[in-house]
Amino acid sequence: MLPAPTRQRILEAAYACVARWGLSKTSIEDVSKEAGLSRSTLYRYFPGGREELIAAVVGWEYDRFFARLYDAVHDATTLEEVLERGLPLAHKAIVDHEVLQRVLETEPELLLPAITVRAEGTIALVAEFLRPYLERHRLAREVDIETAADFLARMVLSYMTAPGRWDLEDPEQVARLVRAELLGGIAPPD
Amino acid sequence: MVGVIGIERPAVAASRPLRRLGTSDRSSQRIRIIDAALASMARTGRFRTSLDDLAASAGVSRATVYRLFPGGREEVLAAIVDTEVARLFSELAVAMGEAADLEAALVAGIVTAARRLRGHAALAAVAATEPGLVLSQLCFGRFDRVLAVASEFAAPFLARWLEPDQAARAAEWATRIVVSYLLTPGRGLLEVTDPDDVAALVGRYVVPGVLALHPPGPGRAGPQRARQSHKEATES
Repeated sequence: MLPAPTRQRILEAAYACVARWGLSKTSIEDVSKEAGLSRSTLYRYFPGGREELIAAVVGWEYDRFFARLYDAVHDATTLEEVLERGLPLAHKAIVDHEVLQRVLETEPELLLPAITVRAEGTIALVAEFLRPYLERHRLAREVDIETAADFLARMVLSYMTAPGRWDLEDPEQVARLVRAELLGGIAPPD
Repeated sequence: MVGVIGIERPAVAASRPLRRLGTSDRSSQRIRIIDAALASMARTGRFRTSLDDLAASAGVSRATVYRLFPGGREEVLAAIVDTEVARLFSELAVAMGEAADLEAALVAGIVTAARRLRGHAALAAVAATEPGLVLSQLCFGRFDRVLAVASEFAAPFLARWLEPDQAARAAEWATRIVVSYLLTPGRGLLEVTDPDDVAALVGRYVVPGVLALHPPGPGRAGPQRARQSHKEATES
């Protein structure tokens, strides 16, 4: 196997450091040791130094998170199926994400602004993913696909990060959430 | 301002402050101190004022501040959150209480909350200087607490047309809508402070979704009645 390209190697090392010490305690020095690269190499790839590297590693893991989710659900065939499989999987991926949970517990103020500045892109990403499912589905009269995809994406992100009174581990509740609440006005059953 | 600066006891926060908003001398002094602290937060984006400064700007004696808030700055901060939640809830109670049908109640609740939160000077200033402080209450696990408080408060106003379980889920859903569009306004598909935009969203997606939540098996009379009365209301 070819060695990972340098940028990738730095990000992997930075992620390992964040997993061990958290966002605020990870230094350029730590990452340089972990990656086995000189500090000057790190600064060549991340001229903004620690701050730029930390932002890059958050973005890198964020992309990987959604890529894993996409891999897990993109073979679903219907709108109902993709939501019913995707919501519990996404929620479980968040709950089981040890690094995310630790950072949310100990230094949420460092992570959340970085995630929420991406929120618009995240909504667009999920909406684009859902759009073909909506296009193939019989929809209620007067449903505008762009608005419906944007709204569904917002709600999917809301429920997967904070399920509230819904138990997403219970398939019956998930089916009720998806078929009744989320799709009741968009794609009602025949 | 629900939970924005760290509600630790949601159920208490939802009920207790309403009783404090009386007009006795003691509570009006309390409110003066809280409002002075809010004004300072709106100016600086931080809650850093000393209790002595707070006493001066509220026009009360230092002894009064220490007597009313023996727990010091933390107690003042908790009282600010309680008071602002109570003010939001009392405005919501009026708006939702006047609604003639389910759709109107949901629209009134969403628009009233969105307008009050967006127009909140102290909240906006704190969100600008310390975004993580505000966001940490509105994302992931801590947002579940906010959802619980908001839904517990708003559900009774929706229960006029819905079963209790439906009403609680509808109230939670409305809270998600407010927070999603306030945090991320997006590309202008919907302006969450605009009653027409919100009415279109609620009428098309939320009301049919909520009505489809009727519990399975016996006990369907309630929701069907709700659907019927909603239909009548929208046709009249």
